Amino acid sequence: MKRNALVIVIVLAAVTVMVWAGVVNYRHRKEENAKLRQLQAMVAESARASGPADGSADIVMNPLQGQMAPTFTLKDTSGHKVSLSDYKGKAVIVDFWATWCAPCKVEIPWLEQFHNQYASQGLEILGVSEDDLDLDNKAKLAQQKQDIATKATQMKINYPVLIDDASVSTPYGGIDGLPTTFFIDRSGKVVASTVGLASRDEIEADIKKALSSGGKS
Amino acid sequence: MKLISSAALLLAVIGVGSAIAQDTPFKTDANSSSSSANSKAQAVKYLFPEQVSVAAGKDAVIDLHFKINEGMHINSHTPRDKNLIATRLIVAEPQGMEIGTVDFPAGSDYALAAMPNEKLSVYSGEFVIHAHVQATAGQHMFEGALRYQACDVNSCYPPRQAPIAVSVIAK
Repeated sequence: MKRNALVIVIVLAAVTVMVWAGVVNYRHRKEENAKLRQLQAMVAESARASGPADGSADIVMNPLQGQMAPTFTLKDTSGHKVSLSDYKGKAVIVDFWATWCAPCKVEIPWLEQFHNQYASQGLEILGVSEDDLDLDNKAKLAQQKQDIATKATQMKINYPVLIDDASVSTPYGGIDGLPTTFFIDRSGKVVASTVGLASRDEIEADIKKALSSGGKS
Repeated sequence: MKLISSAALLLAVIGVGSAIAQDTPFKTDANSSSSSANSKAQAVKYLFPEQVSVAAGKDAVIDLHFKINEGMHINSHTPRDKNLIATRLIVAEPQGMEIGTVDFPAGSDYALAAMPNEKLSVYSGEFVIHAHVQATAGQHMFEGALRYQACDVNSCYPPRQAPIAVSVIAK
């Protein structure tokens, strides 16, 4: 009799623990799902705000849209330090590229032309190289930096080319597909971005958006 | 006693059920990703073989089959531009097995629509590389990776490595 009572107590305790665990688990899942839905809604809203892409580049669902562009300081191919904050009051394109990226070879000549065309209105461009760097091997690192500089010269890039030491791509959303291009207005806000090769017209429209917002043109 | 067994079974069932339920939202999310949105994933997959038999102490060839995701391509072993990253096989030579030359297929011509005159040498779809080996009698593990750099029509992705593992039985 005593044994049966003990068994019943154990079973009741076990069932109570299970019910409690189930409730906690259910609440946790509900919260996670709510967070997920909220995030998806934010991303969808951000994509709508940036306007529809014309099909040449991926639809960008960038969480930086409408946010202040993450600041950075990197060295250019001559070893000079360049900071995004040096360009306060100007519209800035931050273009992530690599020497091995074929679509970047299509986009960069357009950026060079736009730089000539819109510099007088306050447009600056920063090319950020995402080429692999061997930070543990000085000789190899020097050669890799030289290769980037040589490629930039061959491509006649007429704006600063900066070498990312892996510190910049993460705050910009973990750059994966190249080219990835951010358009920053005069107040430092990201007003547009593209992943992959966008059309020339789309890039020009984004430049105009960056030039016309965030301060005096 | 029966009561205790039933309670234990019930605990186990609920435990498993709750684990499945917890995984569901994340599984659904991952499955819904498009290949483009999920670009950080591998573009190349090693297909087969998982196991081969070769004659001990004699030259043999292992054919390694790969598949590239639809809509993507990778540079061939001999890209035309020195800045482009060639596809390479990286292998740790196991004890009792020598790995000789590796034959890569010739690349196909590919050009971006915006640069029709600049032909790239690429692989797409399925391809096979041939690794020449010689193994002593016994079982060996041929492990390594294919290092490649993939692009689609608009974007290029950083170099990645597709893992390979083949059990080699030499008799």
